[in-house]
Amino acid sequence: MNAIIALSLSGIASLFLGFSTNRKNLLITTLLFVLVALGLNLADWNHEYFWFNNMLKTDNLSINFSSVILLSTALVVAISRSFGDDEEHTHPAEYYAIMLFAAAGALMMVTYENMIMLFVGLEILSVSMYILTGSDKRNLRSNEAALKYFLMGAFATGILLFGVALVYGATGSFNIHGIGEVVSRTKKGMELFEGGVILYAGIILIFIGLLFKVSAAPFHFWTPDVYEGAPTIFTTFMSTVVKTAGVAAMYRLLSISFPAVYGLWGNPLVWITCLTLIVGNITAVYQQSFKRMLAYSSISHAGYLLITILAKTPNTNGSILFYSLAYSIATISAFAVLMIVSENKPKDGKPDESFEALNGLSVNNPFLAFVLTVSMLSLAGIPLTAGFFGKFFIFTDAFSNVSPLFKNILVVAILMSAVGVYYYFKPIIAVYMKKGEIAEIQLPLIYKITLIITTALTIILGIAPDLVKNMF
Amino acid sequence: MSLITLIPLFPLLGFLINGIGFRKVPNSLVGIIGSAAALASFACALSLFLNFSGTPQLVHVFDWITVGKLNIAMSFQIDQLSLLMLLIITGVGSLIHIYSIGYMHHDEGFGKFFAFLNLFLFFMLLLVMGSNYVVMFIGWEGVGLCSYLLIGFWNKNVNYGAAARKAFIMNRIGDLGFLLGIFLIIAHFGSVEYADVFGKVAEGGYLSGDKTLVAITLLLFVGAMGKSAQIPLYTWLPDAMAGPTPVSALIHAATMVTAGIYMIIRSNIMYSLAPETLEVVAWVGLATAVFAASIGLFQNDIKKVLAYSTVSQLGYMFMGLGVMAYSSSFFHVMTHAFFKALLFLGAGSVIHAMSDEQDIRSMGGLRKKLPITFITFLIATIAISGIPPFAGFFSKDEILAHVYEHNKLMWAFGLLGSIMTSFYMFRLLFLTFFGEFRGTKEQEHHLHESPLTMTAPLMVLAVLSAIAGFFNLPHIFGGHAGLAEFMAPLFAHSHVETAEVSESTEIMLMVISVVAALASAIVAYVIYVSKKAVPAADGAESGLQKVIYNKYYIDELYDAVFVKPISALSTFFHDVIDFLGIDLIVESIGKLVKTLSAEARLLQNGTTGFYLFAMVLSIVALLAWGLQGFFF
Amino acid sequence: MQQLPDVIRQIPLNNYVWFSAALFCIGIIGVLTRRNAIIIFMSIELMLNAVNLLLAAFSSYKADPAGQVFVFFIMAVAAAEVAVGLAIIVMIYRNIQSIDVGILNKLKW
Repeated sequence: MNAIIALSLSGIASLFLGFSTNRKNLLITTLLFVLVALGLNLADWNHEYFWFNNMLKTDNLSINFSSVILLSTALVVAISRSFGDDEEHTHPAEYYAIMLFAAAGALMMVTYENMIMLFVGLEILSVSMYILTGSDKRNLRSNEAALKYFLMGAFATGILLFGVALVYGATGSFNIHGIGEVVSRTKKGMELFEGGVILYAGIILIFIGLLFKVSAAPFHFWTPDVYEGAPTIFTTFMSTVVKTAGVAAMYRLLSISFPAVYGLWGNPLVWITCLTLIVGNITAVYQQSFKRMLAYSSISHAGYLLITILAKTPNTNGSILFYSLAYSIATISAFAVLMIVSENKPKDGKPDESFEALNGLSVNNPFLAFVLTVSMLSLAGIPLTAGFFGKFFIFTDAFSNVSPLFKNILVVAILMSAVGVYYYFKPIIAVYMKKGEIAEIQLPLIYKITLIITTALTIILGIAPDLVKNMF
Repeated sequence: MSLITLIPLFPLLGFLINGIGFRKVPNSLVGIIGSAAALASFACALSLFLNFSGTPQLVHVFDWITVGKLNIAMSFQIDQLSLLMLLIITGVGSLIHIYSIGYMHHDEGFGKFFAFLNLFLFFMLLLVMGSNYVVMFIGWEGVGLCSYLLIGFWNKNVNYGAAARKAFIMNRIGDLGFLLGIFLIIAHFGSVEYADVFGKVAEGGYLSGDKTLVAITLLLFVGAMGKSAQIPLYTWLPDAMAGPTPVSALIHAATMVTAGIYMIIRSNIMYSLAPETLEVVAWVGLATAVFAASIGLFQNDIKKVLAYSTVSQLGYMFMGLGVMAYSSSFFHVMTHAFFKALLFLGAGSVIHAMSDEQDIRSMGGLRKKLPITFITFLIATIAISGIPPFAGFFSKDEILAHVYEHNKLMWAFGLLGSIMTSFYMFRLLFLTFFGEFRGTKEQEHHLHESPLTMTAPLMVLAVLSAIAGFFNLPHIFGGHAGLAEFMAPLFAHSHVETAEVSESTEIMLMVISVVAALASAIVAYVIYVSKKAVPAADGAESGLQKVIYNKYYIDELYDAVFVKPISALSTFFHDVIDFLGIDLIVESIGKLVKTLSAEARLLQNGTTGFYLFAMVLSIVALLAWGLQGFFF
Repeated sequence: MQQLPDVIRQIPLNNYVWFSAALFCIGIIGVLTRRNAIIIFMSIELMLNAVNLLLAAFSSYKADPAGQVFVFFIMAVAAAEVAVGLAIIVMIYRNIQSIDVGILNKLKW
């Protein structure tokens, strides 16, 4: 897994780059680092390798997830021009380094073969995110978000660890394939096996720990507050990279270690999925802040992703990946526009992140308005955007599963998609129909390129999804 | 990139440049870009034609939709039929583009016009080049859209907008049939590729009159009725004359309206196995041919006459298809494209000279002022009336000869239609170009021959109208029916029962129809030139004439039978069902969601303690649920 | 001299499990009931210690060192977490002169 090593080393290297005062070079260098890691990651394509004494294992699925993560990281880095403009952020190099480390942690979460690596990767990612969330040091909202995230994250880690310990006690192994073997063996004589309770309690606790990371209800409470409080650039990172890594880690564990006890986590997951979809979408309706709405939207997308984890069809790999990619690029566009517009129009000295801040954007900034519209349509799952096919694949997976429970999930999911259309159209309405005065915003070149890439990808994937879907 | 993919690409590029750059690209460049795009496609098509080896070529561009076993590809097929259509579309299209430079240059929507025209070409090319029914359908819908946009091009006039809408809706009815036909093809054959479908039909051992094939062909024919303006879906075409005249020439005479004929010839294998459908096609075609010709007799708008004439000629083509004279019908498509485009462009030239006057009662004596227009118009009139040696004579008589073999009664009606054709065309010619000028002084003062960009296409088309008949010169005149021979591979697998017409019968039929055509031309001359009769003013007609002048009140009939009840029903739905039922339910659901949302968000109360508590509770619940098997 | 694992094995495994579970629950209760960020944080550490103890016990009973290795990982990572956590708490204290999580509820709804 050379990408992880490369990211860690380049993270340290970019700390040293902090001596240079030229921030533009820093951004370009970091972007280069991420792209190098992406290249190294793709170099392992079509080979199944074990790394570091069976600690990590790369296969095409994990490489695909890594690519989505690294692509998202690259895009987020590309739009990260904003921090470092004020005295608070005099050391942007550190934040870039932390982002690189976080990406390394995320990669570990999608390639782990041993629970130790899952834990270490999760912690590298989480600790990095605690710091980034609180990086706006004088801003009380950022502080509060960091504390909430930290306390709840640490608590969830504790739960996860207790689960790992119990599973270890029952199976004697940290290796996910090893655990899988024991679990499927003991499945047959459940009553006879005295460690049964321990094993199943452990599985449930691990499962909960991961559900927290992907912000599924009822473990989602941290999400809106933390997303709202964190600086927007890091919210973007959180809602794309962390989400993808969490879903991938969960999918890897559930599909390799615990498919034999599907009933144990499958039935609760059905309810959790429905609850996540309902809570995410319904609560988003009332939000006045665009950023907070996107946080709830991220909860609801976790719900859609859980559907396909549940569905367990041969297509699940492709569906999860396609959805993660579609979701990530659309979210990055949306946050990018939000960031640039809200900073352009401060209210009481702080960026205005409500829907009103977008009013009349299309008059002087048709490009930004278009980007925002495409990303909202994609998130809402309107045809001719990537999001539509993401949802389409997931619903197809759910439909092909014979279990009658899936019909219920589908009904909820489709109803909630309809609710989603309501709140995703709010920004579009604000941009095109409401009156407001926003002067023309000058976009830096790299910003423009990033937005063009995300928007074009969203549309291309929405017209010809097979281009990417077949790759997975 | 192969030549084949370039053909539709050029007009698309032209559309993008002129469309995106509307008001930015200078007007002088717009026409050049638009015409160059059409000419470039024509050049590609011509080189393909000259190098054509006789075996169909398939070009796969990309897989568009793959669902289960059904794969729908964006791919092109070049064979005899699509090549000929390509030549007609790009060739006539190029001429009309060039003509439009002169005709439209005063219009403020000049760039938009060319963009739409190029877009139309693009879709029309997709329609004829696609290698499966879905690509054809994309083109089919696309040309419908462009037709809508161009009919309503002068959208400040409410009536024109209504005409555009009418065309669109009528076409939608046909499209529904076409779409159902495609679905049936997918359900039955599991593919939409021509090669697969026709292969299965040819080898499937289908009996003549197979139920499925009859259903498919009938549904496809419904599509053709809409697009090619056959009874009962023809009324949109005369109204479509609201569009600029080059549009009428290109879309509503030469190319788009022949799409239905193209489709049937394309699917000839299936049609040949469905004699019931063919019978329907033939009778619908005949009825349309005679009916529309009779309406044409008393119309006073120069373009309306031509429009009804188009409907009537399309009827002839369908009649030919109905008796399995596929290549004869296609021959008529070709010659008709030339002389009808020429007639429309000539009419455009007249309208241009008359300062947008379209009523022939106000014209007259124009032959001295517009000599080129007059001569070319005359050639076209002779051609359409079926007087040798011009193009229409050969193609129409070929159809009539086949019809004669099939059914004598049909032939008699067909001949009647052709007599009427000759009459109304010469009536139009005489009223417009002969006699005294009947317009206002101002108009007379302004009369002028059109610029070269307009007259050059007229002359080219006039030459083609004059000689196109020789492309398929029948054996009795020492020709060798070149077109029919070229197209023969297309019909290799269909069971065409070609009852050869004996030479003596053929000559007899020709003589009859030529004499009839000449006679009615002479009658027209006597009435409108010798007696200098001028049609009565609006409202002054009486009896049958009044009925015909008002197009048999078909529009009013449709209005009373379909439109009024539907709009009454829709008012009912709007006022009662929608307002009371749906709005109430939908809005209360919306309100419910909002209320729920307002409540649900309060759960998110901001205190970490509560969040943790909720988490712990959920953990306990999940543990209890998961482990209940051990304890209970 | 007795091997350490043998000493550990003198107590039945079930006792370790119940003890760790109890310790873990105490930690959870601490997290739920206290409002001081530091004490909540300490309670979380208590939960982690319960995990460590459990891992060590399982490791001895299975004669498998992997469990103890994991303990070291947990300790190391927890130390890093402490560093970051305390930094966050200090940062908050600087801003509002309090570390009561109850008053940090500006982000809501």
